[in-house]
Amino acid sequence: MELKIRKSGENYIIDVNGEMDLYNSYKLKELVMKMLEKKVERFIINLENVDYIDSSGIGALIYICSTIKKMNLRLIITNIHGSVKKVIELTKLMGYFPITQTIEEALQKMEA
Amino acid sequence: MSTLRKEEAVKQIKVDENSPLFDRTGLLHKEFPSDFRQIRYFTLLIVQTAPPDIKEINLLEQQISEIIKNAVKHGNRCDMEKKVRVWYSFSPEHAHIIVEDEGEGFKDLEKWNEFNRKRQTLLEGDDFTALADYVSFRGAAADDNDGGNALFAALEYWNGGFVFNQKRNAVAMLKHFPRRHLGVAKESEN
Repeated sequence: MELKIRKSGENYIIDVNGEMDLYNSYKLKELVMKMLEKKVERFIINLENVDYIDSSGIGALIYICSTIKKMNLRLIITNIHGSVKKVIELTKLMGYFPITQTIEEALQKMEA
Repeated sequence: MSTLRKEEAVKQIKVDENSPLFDRTGLLHKEFPSDFRQIRYFTLLIVQTAPPDIKEINLLEQQISEIIKNAVKHGNRCDMEKKVRVWYSFSPEHAHIIVEDEGEGFKDLEKWNEFNRKRQTLLEGDDFTALADYVSFRGAAADDNDGGNALFAALEYWNGGFVFNQKRNAVAMLKHFPRRHLGVAKESEN
């Protein structure tokens, strides 16, 4: 799994590339925690290039989401598709996570 | 909806030593050491025997991987001397798996069912604030890398049953795949 950060205005977009599985999902968690230490306040996690997620990956997203919610900061997860979407649906967390279809939509929502 | 019907509607992990899902007749069999690093590789060795046109095969792989991970990590505590045994059969219409470890068994099963009942109640009420405390089940031996959500998805995915033996160190599960009509799966059968 590869993680890249880019900035759009005040928003930090994390592009996740690869599989979010039991061996590497902690990396995303660690990255977000480091960004929080650096006072980043707006996160967009882009899952466009993620075709596989397991319970560790979902767990990482839950941890990130609950931490950011508790701090009253902003998070949107975007471009969820295929089996990643299916796993989140099976876990019934589509309503729990703040989700948009596209990055553009996420950016608009951040400004709203 | 009556109380009884509502109880039935809430899916639970069951314990039933005599479940037909534990019938190993005609199933293929493999056993693995409890090597955490190779969980996905072991899973692929099993899933590669499934027909390639099986519906959403990478979702099947993920679901099997979760059960093997539980056996390796929570059952056998990654003790390389202990084996994980898997029996399995696949067709375009079904996936049937039994996974057994050498551990002490899933002691938190009742706690898990109780946790899941509360979780279901919150989901039905769209109470996503309170749900925050019920998104991950933390068993006694869970660590930070455990998602705590695998069995929620398992109960939904394994639509033919998901049942433990009496000792709770073996779990059997069945998935029915929708029949295909002229190459198109009927959604109602999902």
